[in-house]
Parts: sequence; structure tokens; C-alpha cells
Amino acid sequence: MAAVRATALSDTWAVTDVVAVAPAIGVAVRRRRPRLGRLGGYAVTVWVLLSINFFLPRAMPGDPIEAMLASAPSTTASDRQQREAAARYYGLDRPLPQQYFSYLGGLARGDLGFSIRYGRPVRDLLAERLPWTLLLALASVAMATAVGVMSGIQAGWRRGGRVDAILVGIFTVLRGVPPFFLGSVAAFLFAVKLGWFPLAGGRVAFADDRGFARVADIASHLVLPAATLGVLLAAGQFLTARAGMVSELGADYMLLGRAKGMDERRLKYAYAARNALLPVVTLIAIDLTVTASAAVIFVEQIFAYPGIGRLIFDSVTFRDYPTLQGCFLALSLIVVTLNFLADGLYGRLDPRTRT
Amino acid sequence: MKALRSPLAWGGAVVGLLVTTALFAPLLAPYDPHAISGESLEEPSLHHLLGTNGIGQDLFSQLVWGTRSVLVVAVAGAALGTVVGALLGAAAGLAGGFVDTLAMRVVDVVLALPALPLVLVIAAMVGPSRAVLVLLISLVGWPVVARLVRGQVLSLRQRGFVVLARGFGAGRWDVVRRHLLPALAPVIISRFLVWVPAAIFFEAGLAFVGLSDPGGTTWGLMLNEAVRFQGLYFTRLWVWWVLPAGLAITLAVLGFTLVGIGLETRLNPRARVASGPGRQVRRG
Repeated sequence: MAAVRATALSDTWAVTDVVAVAPAIGVAVRRRRPRLGRLGGYAVTVWVLLSINFFLPRAMPGDPIEAMLASAPSTTASDRQQREAAARYYGLDRPLPQQYFSYLGGLARGDLGFSIRYGRPVRDLLAERLPWTLLLALASVAMATAVGVMSGIQAGWRRGGRVDAILVGIFTVLRGVPPFFLGSVAAFLFAVKLGWFPLAGGRVAFADDRGFARVADIASHLVLPAATLGVLLAAGQFLTARAGMVSELGADYMLLGRAKGMDERRLKYAYAARNALLPVVTLIAIDLTVTASAAVIFVEQIFAYPGIGRLIFDSVTFRDYPTLQGCFLALSLIVVTLNFLADGLYGRLDPRTRT
Repeated sequence: MKALRSPLAWGGAVVGLLVTTALFAPLLAPYDPHAISGESLEEPSLHHLLGTNGIGQDLFSQLVWGTRSVLVVAVAGAALGTVVGALLGAAAGLAGGFVDTLAMRVVDVVLALPALPLVLVIAAMVGPSRAVLVLLISLVGWPVVARLVRGQVLSLRQRGFVVLARGFGAGRWDVVRRHLLPALAPVIISRFLVWVPAAIFFEAGLAFVGLSDPGGTTWGLMLNEAVRFQGLYFTRLWVWWVLPAGLAITLAVLGFTLVGIGLETRLNPRARVASGPGRQVRRG
């Protein structure tokens, strides 16, 4: 990779970066909409999501309950109670508009249906899994920000140098690695070969440890999945921070600072970096939504981490459609909401975007 | 050695290798990837270059045939999304007014939907045939292209050579054919190339979750089967089951990315459009 001209590479990346990669990982591309439309756009998006979730099972070939239960384990499929519960939930004997409104009403009460595989309300499953996913997302984003931003500042400051070339090469390659593969490599090296961290799970099963021991247990299970996600997200942070740094280098205030004989470190961190990092702030929000949606699904499965992503994987494997839909709705709403908030945050942080 | 420093050369080599593998898959693969051609979990040997999986299917053959599945789905999905997006974007930009506003609102909403969870839930419920995968990849790709092409059309319409052509009485279709299309082509091509690696990611991710064409074999599916295999990490199995498929995905994404980067600097629309009128007139 070192053979590839690093600066040329990264400059193109800086342009294509967000636009190119964002749609792949489930994030709205950053843009500034007119103020009036922002809340409205958010409302429409949420409504579209809810409607997709309503119409999907009804658009499936045949009776949705047949389709749903036919693929479930045979014991479940022949369970009359299960069938009646499903029929009642979907209310398929009633006209469509009525179904739609009772669906919305059910959602408002937090009714997400019953899991075919677990035989429990989907809401309870989600409530159990969500904290794990949030923990994983926060830890990996924190890690990505620390690593990506610091190396981005260094690389951008000495643009075209040896460190810059190496870092750009590493992070460009990393962008091409699928999260499940990187996770599997990490599991193989650090859990199996070296034995530094546990291979799977969120904590030791059936452990009754308390206090510090429990925190340490959860933390040691968190390291590998969070690091896997963190490294992948750091690539984006790095390229953004680096591009920001590069574009600030030639700014007038930098020239003035130099002319005044200002300390280089102060110029680097308090001046250039401070301005360069604005886009990084929004990227953090984007990353949170990315981890909360795409990457988590893969990485959690690799490490058998007990979050939403694993639940999605399992419900696809066992064709547990109500659970799958519940996960879809929960993840989508989180993603859309965080994107909406990040849009607003950007306007507050950067006075130049206020008009 | 200038070629060694060019992203296009490296990317082109990788893409060329993949395309060749995909084209000649039936000749390169020693076995039917679905056939049970050996014992379960054989180590690599001359008969099975990468050993066999849990039920005795040849892993090397799966890798080779997987190339074809991945490329077909990713390239077709990206191409369909690019064409649809470009047509809608150009139409919106040319029509203007209410049609334009409406189209851009739709683009906004589709862009705001979280792509992967959406694609995943639809693929799971509709059933992941090859056609469905292609449609889903194009579904999440078109809005970006539409927005980009619309912006280009809007700015091109204001440019001297287009205004002049219209002033001389060129019809709308004439302007599109002789002036807009040549100017838009580089933008559309480089957008397509950026989308192929993203589509590969998508295809691999869905297959990893278990959502791939039931009649085919693909890299993500190999990883799915490997990861679900209980003893994966406790033998050397990992090295020939997970590593080749994972590296193949990485290499494919990287190869197409490099080609995209290399071509983008060459086809850079800004360089072309900026020097636009003069060049275009001389060419015409």
C-alpha cells in the first residue's frame, strides 16, 4: 500500500469521503436544509419508517401469518394459541385503514408484538438488549474519536510526510475491511491465540460477582468488540480530521499567528485543530448511528455480544419476523433521531452555518 | 516505476483478477461448490486447496464461485441505481418547479432512512433472490446519484454553451444529447465506481447475516457458515475457512475503491466543466 501515493489518495478521499461511504452504512448524507423543513422532514421520515414496518408483512406472498409461522419451528407453527395471538395482533380480519390505526395505537403503547422464537413480548427483548448495544456503541465511538482525531491532527499538520503517508495507507485499507472479518481476526488473535480477552459474550454466564469484579468482567468482554468497531470508525474520523487540518494550514490566522511568533504547539492545537475539528463533531454523531445500525449487527454476532445486533442475526436465522421488525423499528428510529439531532447540533456549533 | 504509484494500476490489476475469476469460475473451480466432495473439515491438500467446510464442500470452489455472485450482484445493483438515479436527477433538474421540489423531497426522505436495517428487513421478509438483492442495492443508491446529477444539470443549464445553444434554437432533447450528456458522463461514471465497493460491502454484509441468493454461494455466506460453526476457533480451521473469504471481500472493496480514486482524478468533472465552454465548443 505504501506504493500508492498517499497524499493524492487522501485528498480524493476527503472529497468523496462522507458522500461516498455514508449511504453504504446507513446514514443520511450531511447537508443543510432550510430551517423550516427540518422538523417536518424528520416527521415524514419517521412516518415512512412506521408505514414500511406496517406494510412489509402484508406485502409478503400469501397470508402473513401463514408465511410467518410456516417457517417457524414446527412446534410453534402448530401451536393454536400462537396462531390466534398473531392473528389478533395483526387484526387481519379488519379493513386495512383500521388495521393501520390500531397498529399505530399499539406502537404508542409500546406494543411490538410477540417473538416467535422466544415467546415473549418483543418490547421486553429490546429493553434487555438495548443497553448492551448502547454500551458497545459509546465505547467504540469514544475509542474511534480518540485514535482517529489525534492521528488526523498529526498527519494533517505534517501533510505529505512519512507519518502521514503511512497513516493514510493504513486507514484506507481499513475502510475496505468488513467489520465481521476484522472482528473475526481480532477474536482469533487476541482471544484464541493470545488469550488476553474473553472470546464471546457480554459477561461471564451465571456469574454472581458484584461491584468492581462485575465492572471488570463487563469491561474485559467489551474490549474486543469495541476495539473492532473503534478501529473501523477511526478511519473516518482520521480522514475528516486530517482534511480539516490541511484546509486550515494556509488560513490567514495561521500566518498571523506565526508572524506574531506564536508557539507552534499552540498554533497546532488551539488554532488549527480547533477549527479543523468542527466536522468531526458531526461525524461522532454519524458514527454513533452507524454503530447503532450497521456495524453492530455484524460485530455482535462475531463476539456473541448480547445486544440488538445479535438479536437481528438470530431473528433472521430463525425467521422470527416480529422480533426482526421490532429491532428494525428500534434501530431505525434511533438512527433517524440521532441524525436529526446532529443536524441541529452542527448549526449551534458552527456560527458560520447560521444565517 | 510510475505504475507502482498509480491507484488505477493497482485497482485495475485487482479488478481484472476478480473479473477473470468470475468469468472462468467453471474452469477454475475443481468442484461444484454445493457438492459434497470430501470428508468434513479436511485440511488443505492438493485435492482441496483450501480444505473443506463442516459438511465437506470444497472451500476453494466456493471462493471462486463466490467471486461471480458478488460481482454480478454488486455491479448490477450499482449500475441500476446509478442509471435510475441519473435519469430521475436529470429529469428533476430539467423540469424544475414543482416536479423538482417533489423529487428532492423524496430523495431527502429516502436518504434519511437507515439503509442497512431497511435492506436487511426487506430482504429477510421478501426472500433474498439475486434480483431482490440487486433491486435493494439500487434502492439505497439512487438518491445520492439523483441529487448529484440534478445539481450538475442545474449548473450546466446556466453555462454559456448551453444558453448559447438554446439561443440558437437547439431543442431541449438536442441540448441534452449534445451538451448535457457528455458533461454529465464523467460524474455519473465516477459515482458508479464509488458505489461498486459500497455494494460489495452490502452484498457481503447481507450474506453474512444469512441473506443471500439461496441457489448461489458467496463470500459473506462462507463467513456466515464459518462463524456459526461451533469449534471454529479451536482448530486451525479458521485459517482456511475465514481468512480467504474475508481477504477476498477486503481485496474486492479495495480494488474497486482504487479504480474509483484513480479514475476520479482523471475524469474530474470540475476540471472538465470549469474549462468547459471553450473545450466543448472546440470539440463540437
